[in-house]
Formats: sequence, C-alpha cells, structure tokens
Amino acid sequence: MKAMLYLIRRSLINLIKGIFKKPSILIGYIFIVVFFGGLILASFLMPSGLIRAGSPQLFNGIMVLAFVFFYTSNLRVTVDRGSTFYRLADVNLLFTAPISPNKILIYGFIKQLGATLVLIVFAMFQIPNLKNNFIFRPYGIWMIILAAVFYALSYPLLGMLVYSWSSKDKQRAKTVKKVLNLLSAVLVLLTLYNLYQTRNLGESIINVFNSPIARYFPLAGWAASIASAAVSGISVEFYVGITGMVLFIAGISIALYHLKLDYYEDVLSGTEYLEAVRKAKREGNTFAFNLKVRDKVSQKLWGTGARTILSKQLLEYRKMSFFFFFDVTTVTIIISTLVFRLIIGREFGGDASLMAILFFSAYMLLLFQAQGRLNVEMERPFIYLIPDSSAKKLFYATAAEHIKNFFDGLLLFLLSGIMFKAGIQTIFACTLTYVAFGSVFVYTDVLSRRIFGWVHSKGLLIFLKVISSLLIQVPGIIAAIIAASYTGSEIMAVYAMCGWGLVLSITFFMFSSGILNNLESAG
Amino acid sequence: MLKVSELTKKYQKVLAVNKVSFQVNPGEIGVLLGPNGAGKSTTIKSIAGLLRFEGKITIDGKDNKSTEAKRVFGYVPETPALYESLTCWEHLEFIARAYNLTDWEDTAEALLQRFDMSDKKKMLAKELSKGMQQKVSLCCALLINPKMVMFDEPMIGLDPKAIKELKEIFVELKNSGCAILISTHIIDSIAEIWDKVLIMNKGEIVANRVREELTASGESLEQIFFEVTGGEDEG
Repeated sequence: MKAMLYLIRRSLINLIKGIFKKPSILIGYIFIVVFFGGLILASFLMPSGLIRAGSPQLFNGIMVLAFVFFYTSNLRVTVDRGSTFYRLADVNLLFTAPISPNKILIYGFIKQLGATLVLIVFAMFQIPNLKNNFIFRPYGIWMIILAAVFYALSYPLLGMLVYSWSSKDKQRAKTVKKVLNLLSAVLVLLTLYNLYQTRNLGESIINVFNSPIARYFPLAGWAASIASAAVSGISVEFYVGITGMVLFIAGISIALYHLKLDYYEDVLSGTEYLEAVRKAKREGNTFAFNLKVRDKVSQKLWGTGARTILSKQLLEYRKMSFFFFFDVTTVTIIISTLVFRLIIGREFGGDASLMAILFFSAYMLLLFQAQGRLNVEMERPFIYLIPDSSAKKLFYATAAEHIKNFFDGLLLFLLSGIMFKAGIQTIFACTLTYVAFGSVFVYTDVLSRRIFGWVHSKGLLIFLKVISSLLIQVPGIIAAIIAASYTGSEIMAVYAMCGWGLVLSITFFMFSSGILNNLESAG
Repeated sequence: MLKVSELTKKYQKVLAVNKVSFQVNPGEIGVLLGPNGAGKSTTIKSIAGLLRFEGKITIDGKDNKSTEAKRVFGYVPETPALYESLTCWEHLEFIARAYNLTDWEDTAEALLQRFDMSDKKKMLAKELSKGMQQKVSLCCALLINPKMVMFDEPMIGLDPKAIKELKEIFVELKNSGCAILISTHIIDSIAEIWDKVLIMNKGEIVANRVREELTASGESLEQIFFEVTGGEDEG
C-alpha cells in the first residue's frame, strides 16, 4: 500500500506546487475557491422556499427520477465500455507490479473519493435552485451531499459487478441493455400516461416516482431517500436508504477484497476508453467524441481559401447529425428547455414564456459551447497553414456554428411559440438573440484564449470562459430592463439583449482576429 | 524463464489466440512478429497478467499473475502512460517502493544518465515529450533488475542514441541471463540481436525459429515472415 500512498501524496504535492509556480493560474484557482466557497456559503445561508414551497413528495419524486437517470445511464456506458477507477499509467505500472489486486482495488476507491468531490460540487450547484423551490431542513444540504457521496461510491461497484457478468457473453450484455431499455420505456410511458391524465408534470412525477416501490428500490431509491431527508426530514426511508447503501458498498467491497480477484481485464477496456475521452477533451473534441459518423453522406466541398473551412464544417455537421443540423445538441436543448418551461409553471403568458425559454436555452448553449468547434480546428495544423488572412479564417471557422445556432434557435422558438401561443415577432426576436448569445460565447472563447493562453488546466479555462460569458451579459440585461420599462414592450427587451450581444461579438472578433496568424497567437 | 503453454484467449466468440505455446529461455532474446490482428497484443497482455485466458503462463517457474512472478518481470508497453503529476525521479521512487527495492538510487541515476535524462529528473511526466516518456518507461522496467522483460515496440519514438543504448542494454541483459521478449513491427531494428523468432498469424504461432536455423538455411527474417504470413504486409 505504501507505493500507492506515495503516488497519491506526491501527485497532490506536485499539483499544489504547479499551481504556486504560475501566479496567473494561482489567481484563477483562488477565484474558483472564492466562487465555490461563496456558493457553498450561500447555499447554507440562503432562506429556502423563496419562489414556492414545493411538496416533499415532489422533491422525493425528482430525486428518484434523477438517481434512476444517473444509475441507468452510467450502467449503459458501463455495459459497453466497462467500469474503471484507473488510468492507463495504473494499468502499465501498477497492475504489473507485485501488489495484490485487492490492494489495488482499495487504491482505486481512494481515487474515487477524489472524484466524489467533483460530484459534490455539481450537487452544490443545484442546491440554490432546490432551496428556492422547497423548504429545506437545517441539515438539508448535508443530506444532498451524503446522497452524492453514496452514489459516487456505489455506481462504480455496481458497474464492476454488472460488467464482469455481462462481458463474458454478448448475449448477456444485450440482456442488460434490454432490461435497461425496458425499464426506461416503462417509466417514460407511465409518466406520459399519468401526464395525459393529470395534465400536470409535478403531479405525474409524484405519482410515478414517489411510490413506495420507487422509494425502497435498491440504490436509486435508497440514494433518493437519503437526499429527500433534506426536505422530508429523517424518516424510515432514510434509515432504509442508509442501511441499504452501507450494506451494499461494504458487502461488495469486502467480497471483492477477500475474493481471489482477477478484474484487470474487466477494467482494461473502460480504462482505455476513458483515456481516449480524456485525450479528446484535451483536444477540445468533447462533443464530437463517440458520435456516430455517417459515412454515406456525399457532399462536395466548395469555396477556396478560408471558405473551405466553412464548407468542411458543414459537411462534418451533415455527417454527424441525424439530418441537416438536427443532432444530439438540438434534441437536448429543445427537450431540456421545454421541460424547464413545463416545470416553471403556467403563470407566464406566451411572450414571457418564450423569454424564459430564451434565457434557459442560452444557458444550455453556453454549456454545450464551452468547448466549441474552433478548438478542434486549432488543435490541428491546417487552419494556420491555409493561405488567407487570420480574420477571414476566424470568420469562416466560426460561421458554421452561427448557422447551426440559427437552425436550433428557429426550431426551438417555432415549436415553443406554437405551444405557448407567442407572436411571430417574438419568435423571430428570440431566434436572433439566441444566435447573438451563441456568437458572444464563441468569440469570448476565442478572446479568452488570447488572454489566458493555454492555461494548463482545461477545466480552469472552461470555468473562466463560462463565468466571463455570464458576467459580460450584465450590461445587456440592464439595457433590456431599461428598454422594457421605457417602451413597455417585451420584444424591445429581447432586441436590446440581441444588440448588446452583437456589439460584444463584433468587438471580441476584432480583438481576436489575429489569433490564427500562428500557433503562438493561439496561446 | 518465460513459458507459455496452450495459451488460448477468446473475446466472446472471437478466437484471438489459439493454443499458443513457446518459451524464452534465460539469456535469450525472443522476438514476436506478426501482421495486424495476428494476436500479438493479446499474447502480450496475457503475459503481462492483464487478461484472463486459458492455458498456462509461467515466469521463473511461477504463475504469471502471482506477486512472485511479477517481482522479476519488467514490462515496457507500446504507448508510454505515466502519471502526469509525478516527476521522472518520482516514477522511479514509486517503482522502487512498489517492488520493495533497496539501494536503488545509484541504478536509477545510471539509467537516467544512460538515456540522457539526468537533467530531466525533476520534470513532470506531462512536461516530457513522447520519446522522453518512453525512456522513463524503459528506466522503470529496468530498475527492478528483471529476470524476464517484455518490450512492446520499444524503439518507437526514441532518438538514434537511445535506440543504440537500448540495443546495448538488450545485449547486456541477455549476457546477464535475463530472458527478453520483444514485440515489434520493424524487423530491421532487431536484426542483429535476436536469438529466437516467433511469428504469429491469425492467432497462432506459424513459425518458431532460432537464429542458427536461419543462418544454416541462408534465409532472411523478412523472407521467412512473408513466407509464413502468406505475403501479407507486416503490421
């Protein structure tokens, strides 16, 4: 064990040393610590139930739904790729060392505890939202954190168990997938049927996901019961959840520790897959990774010089979309935005609904564009070598993204405009503003590269981009409020935001137009 | 030293390696050749103890997955994968701890010196080029003073001086009684040093020759390779 403890200790020390070596990075990390510290503090201090006092049953239903989604989606990936706590360095240096697999498993768990921190931070992000809508117990936040910890510890174990069984035979893997699909289909159909009867999403979530079977269902139900103690208080379900989780984690761990283990093969493909994902992330290729590429698309490239980049990107979009620009991003943005709209309530009118959708979809777009397509281009040498001006190359390398945003925006606002009976002018204004938001995100990304350069941590770079993208919208929001209060028109507010977005985009474009002159300008 | 008996590995219904048997003796350099998909990687991963398989693999007379066998077994993978947050020296210290080595520092210094890495020992793995990472990987495998060492494409990414040093190390290891197994695509790179060649095709060993046999027949390694693999491109 001492070798592995040495490994963990030295990695941590070197990470901290690395941060202190570069003051600019240190400032970034201090900013992150202050931000998250503030967020955590605010989560604890903020009063709950500011917007509404949602019922504990709804809270429990949402928790069950969330954990069912987390467990099943993880299990689906696990069946395909295997489950792993390890990196390729562990495979090459640890698995071949004279150390028992049981000890290496404990090391894996210790590493997983580190990853748990990320999940806790993610959970913390959701707390203000939940607190606004539900009345929390004084210890409520701790219950959410506890549920996140149990989830993070249990899902790799579950994955390892399922994978070691299913990987022996293709038929078994198919059976697991069929069971998962069936479970998902049953839940979706039940919810839809219930929704048809109640016409109320909240009620349907309660009816389907707050049933006793759901609350006591192993793992997902247990985790949800622990989280639900945040609102419902400590109950029988909570104790059942805690006991179930502890027994599951301890039981499987003890069994694994005492068994004569031979799990290296089971984690190998998962490790190789994760390594490939990490490589893709480093290259800014996150969203294109693992997407199916249609090879039967025949479309000729057009244009010369910088224009070729646009025509190549359009071809790539066609190859990776279901049709035209309609792809996973489109589906995700539309579905999550419409669900958001259904959840926020019925009190808004048509135009106001579209504005709420606009803000939420822009937020989703920001998350999707955190690693944009330009990053993929900039990781390869071709864009620097094309004999054209940097500004032209930057324009054409980002144009496809604006076209795609226009397509997604038009589809989203047409659909929601019809659903919520909004005016055509509002639909048009919202689509334009959506594109303007998108272009601000694109060019903030480019500018942040010029300012921050190749920050050694991609995570930090993305964080800085996301935060700055949000902060620079503040003047636009102020302009929108002023426009709306002077004219009394919601559309004018949308146009004000759109105008501010265009001003920002053009300014950022001009400041970063030289970025493609050479690799060094790109950071 | 390394004895592989009736090694069979199936990936679900695909038979990747079928009843492969061979051995590499102490003081012998064995070379594993074969086109793409021949089963070399599966064989190597099985010997390294990373896969479940049918058959038996022993290193120094012990089961290859036992800690006793691993203690005397060095492995250099094709793609160097190091701990990004550890320096070169810390990698060697980690290996020394993992293998319970004592008085390893002088050997570590000598290895780094040999591969021109002495001035890089405080650099983090993520700051190193791929070739340098490969050198660290080599140093880690050699630090344990192995009785059996397996190299998967060891020359890729190395500069000419490092290749020369590595070839000298192969010979030194051989002279010290170590068994060496090298998997490579580049036949020329091992032309001067090999003792035994194992050519794989479609999951089986299709040729198992020692240098003396080839010298006697006047054939070259390349000729034999294309002959037994049906003229497929080497891979």
